[in-house]
Amino acid sequence: MAQEKKKESAMKRRWGMAIDLDKCTGCGQCQVACSQENNIPLFEDDSELLKRVVFLDVMKVTNDRDRAAQYPNVKTAFIPKMCQQCSGNDPKNPKPPCVSVCPVVATDVGDDGVVSQVWSRCIGCRYCQASCPYEARQFNWWKPEYEGSFKESLNPEVSVASRGTIVKCTFCSHIWKRERDKMLARGVKDINAVQYTPACVSGCPTGAMVFGDLNDPASEVSRLAKTDRAFRLVHTIDTWDEAKKKEAQAKKDYPNPKVYYLSSQQWLRDMMRFK
Amino acid sequence: MKYLKQAFDFCVNEWKSYSKNIQITLLVLGFLVAGFLVFGIQILFWGLGYTDMNNMFAFGQWIIGDLGLVALGGGAFTTGFILYIFRNDKLEPLINSTVLIGFLCYLFTLVFLVFDIGQPLRAWFGYTYPNWGPGLMPQSMLTEVVWCLTFYFCVLFIELIPIPLGHRLLDRYPVIHAIGHYMHKLMWIMAAVGTFLSFFHQGSLGGGMWGVLYGKSQWFRPHFFFLAIVMATAGGTSFMILCAWLAGKVMKKEVVPMESFQSLAKVSGIMMIAYLVFNAYDVYSMATKYVPLYDRTFVDTWGGYYGIWMLVLEFLFTLGAIVILVVPKFRNTEKTMVYGVISGVMAIVMNKSITVLHGSSVPNFPWKPFVGYNPTIQEWFVFLGGLATAVLIYMWFAKYLPLFPHADKHAHGEEHHA
Repeated sequence: MAQEKKKESAMKRRWGMAIDLDKCTGCGQCQVACSQENNIPLFEDDSELLKRVVFLDVMKVTNDRDRAAQYPNVKTAFIPKMCQQCSGNDPKNPKPPCVSVCPVVATDVGDDGVVSQVWSRCIGCRYCQASCPYEARQFNWWKPEYEGSFKESLNPEVSVASRGTIVKCTFCSHIWKRERDKMLARGVKDINAVQYTPACVSGCPTGAMVFGDLNDPASEVSRLAKTDRAFRLVHTIDTWDEAKKKEAQAKKDYPNPKVYYLSSQQWLRDMMRFK
Repeated sequence: MKYLKQAFDFCVNEWKSYSKNIQITLLVLGFLVAGFLVFGIQILFWGLGYTDMNNMFAFGQWIIGDLGLVALGGGAFTTGFILYIFRNDKLEPLINSTVLIGFLCYLFTLVFLVFDIGQPLRAWFGYTYPNWGPGLMPQSMLTEVVWCLTFYFCVLFIELIPIPLGHRLLDRYPVIHAIGHYMHKLMWIMAAVGTFLSFFHQGSLGGGMWGVLYGKSQWFRPHFFFLAIVMATAGGTSFMILCAWLAGKVMKKEVVPMESFQSLAKVSGIMMIAYLVFNAYDVYSMATKYVPLYDRTFVDTWGGYYGIWMLVLEFLFTLGAIVILVVPKFRNTEKTMVYGVISGVMAIVMNKSITVLHGSSVPNFPWKPFVGYNPTIQEWFVFLGGLATAVLIYMWFAKYLPLFPHADKHAHGEEHHA
């Protein structure tokens, strides 16, 4: 079998995010900002939750999983969940679970680690959706519609997807492209997280979301990702000892997401484990 | 106008010549085909919103149909291989029916795939923008499925050509007779090519496609590719026997001699043993090796509507098929043999249902419940209507073309004798 050619990252940046769940109030502003920025369809009746298209979903989690918690011990948290921008075992040679499965190369991972999706290339087979462990990929079950005057406020930088295609969060990569071009015009060849910030992070009123470069050890997101409060969604491998981790990684790839969650609440961290 | 009237009269006379049972069967099949057309148009023009699939449950009934049809249609490559390469001439009376069933299974797999994708008009992207990756092997299992399925479909089409050429109206022309004769002689090449191709797509669609999903505890296991090949060999052969036997019952004559059925049933039974052993290893390795890699337990990944009872049922069907098809006493009795092949087919159907239904229902987050799925009327009609169309084509072949040379010889012999 031909040896797979390693794709070493040529860029300095590896975009990641840290979300402080203790600061998140569940206001949904990130979801609204994301939907507005990415031309998410807005149906008159959006009550069919399992067929709704959202790049960013705010999941409500309580410690009442077994209906055992009693007042006043019931605790609630909100988890803003978008594409976790998985890397696979080796971030320098990223292998997200959804990219290699696409039969028509409609999705790819960039050298900055962002998993892209080309709506107009997608045939809608939903294989990537089945492969995603974070339910981050959404399918346009219906023809996208925009209620009332919302059509007039569509973002011209993001193409409106056709019915029957998969769409997903790309860390607002169109903003990255726009800001990159602006900076290039000024002679700056690399941009940082100040110039490029996804819509959800810009919209967060409590500063719970931090975006930045995980390759830069001095960045806020790098610092937060290394704290004891950090964990990743249902990614319990982080809690294993090194030997067990290595043994497991030799057997299979792990998603290794670039979105970190922060919390000091033990019950919330425990919720990341299947019983 | 005159020709129209002749055609109409022909149809009326044909209809009147059928028995009551056949008329009822044709009416039911026709109703399903009509539903297939109506709801098929709705799905193609208005989209998959009319199905019960959703963002949690990405695959449904049509994908079970695809997996099942390819695995069961895979009996065509096994039978062809045993007949043409191993030279087991006992299977000769079965081969035409087998090739036709294989062809229909693959045809409707492609039809269901087109319905299942959100953008049917972009279906050709699979050929023009394949995810081939850097090496010789395709990167995406689905790319392999698309290409391999297409190639094998072409092989089956070529294998099918001698059947209509054998019709007495065509066979009387020496050129056509010669073409049919030499195509038949060279069919071992197609059988070999078909087997080569089948090994790949049986493995990829049946197992590899799911086994590579490293993010999902319910599907990931590297050996799933090989398990699917064994599964298709075991169940596909049972399916070929069942279809030809049913045709004989409907036509009320011996279309295939019992010794042909028994010869293939023995192969199916032996392969079922291999399948049982491999499947037991699969469950054992899932429970002890693969699911724990996700910090989950095997038993906890089963729940909701699609519990572990599906797995138990699959093993029972496999065991039933083994006992009946391997023990000569049961295999040589027509009635029990039929139960055996039904059991074999059901084992495969259960496995495919487990892959899709159970696999899709497993929650990704610890705080979420198992997901259920209840196909809509559109899904039922497209699925059953598609199968009804396949049955109608098979019936047409059986009635008008030399699908069962053994039965034709038998009938001609009787005529001659009379």
